[in-house]
Amino acid sequence: MIYSWKKIVKHGLPLLTITLLIEVFAGQILQGKQDALLMFPIFLISIPVINSVSGNVGSVLGARLASGLHVGYITLSIRDKEMHDNLLISVLIGIITYLILAIVIYFIAVFGNLITEDIALIEFIAIIILTGFLLISIVSIVSVLTAFISFRRGLDPDDMVAPVVTTVGDFMGIVFLFIILGIFGVGI
Amino acid sequence: MLAKEMVKQSLPLIILCGIGAIIAGSTLGAMKDLIIEIPGLIVIIPAIIAMRGNISTAFGSRLGSAYHLGIINADNLWNEELLENIKGSLFLSFFVSIIIGILAYITSFLLNVYPNPVKIILIVLIAGVFSAIILTLLTIGIIYLVFKRGYDPDNITGPALATFGDIITMLCIFGSALLVEVML
Repeated sequence: MIYSWKKIVKHGLPLLTITLLIEVFAGQILQGKQDALLMFPIFLISIPVINSVSGNVGSVLGARLASGLHVGYITLSIRDKEMHDNLLISVLIGIITYLILAIVIYFIAVFGNLITEDIALIEFIAIIILTGFLLISIVSIVSVLTAFISFRRGLDPDDMVAPVVTTVGDFMGIVFLFIILGIFGVGI
Repeated sequence: MLAKEMVKQSLPLIILCGIGAIIAGSTLGAMKDLIIEIPGLIVIIPAIIAMRGNISTAFGSRLGSAYHLGIINADNLWNEELLENIKGSLFLSFFVSIIIGILAYITSFLLNVYPNPVKIILIVLIAGVFSAIILTLLTIGIIYLVFKRGYDPDNITGPALATFGDIITMLCIFGSALLVEVML
């Protein structure tokens, strides 16, 4: 027998516990800003979306870098052109996705009567795009760093990138959203 | 050329996962009243979703590797190896749910919010274990279909679990919070 449930639990627990501690802190930020979120439920809907897109884009980037490093067409250099191309395209894909999803969310909120306070479509799109741009940039850089560092240490980037990127994305997504909301003066 | 290929191949899937997340987000929006009534509820939500994502994708990718190693296939799916993997995922979900509940209670306490610890731990536990059971069965179902058609499970399970995982987990949190609020 190759697998044993005890080993699965033992290997999974340490990384999961660290991950979840960070996620609980993200949850505490939500709790602290709860009143603003309940006043603008449209942002409550947006939080899983902001997090999911950054996690997926970051994981795809990480998987591509891992394959490139394993096969050898990406080198461990911060000047590697292939890596730069992948990074830029990830940011681009992220922005396009956030734009499309922001429009969808806005109309769902309008039809679901969830817009209790006045917020214009263009303002909502601007908030999501700015948050998304900051987030995707950070997450993509973290993805590159995690892939490169784990590869250099002889670890498989495929195992490392997804958990690191999703955790960083979940936490920073919530932080960036509230920073941008503060700049726009929404919910204060 | 490279850019075009990348955008063409990954953009539709990422948007599809985003649509899944919008359904999850709308469920969260529908929980407005519960969030007001149960202090600490909003704290555990990102953690439960992250736990589910981590444990299910690891389960899916282990089954993918098991397939490549020749341990499981379409004719020999229900065996000891699969059973150990299922047990591993379920026990891990059980322990981690309790850890989330305790962490959420302690950090709230430090921030001067006083949730009911029994309520919070029960909500995480019920949501965590139920979503684990549903997603484990779903993963096995997906793996079975993938085998039947002769595809590589590594390409399918990740995005499929990312799309359905968030929705199922959010619904489980909603149900569990409602249940605990009515019972206690």
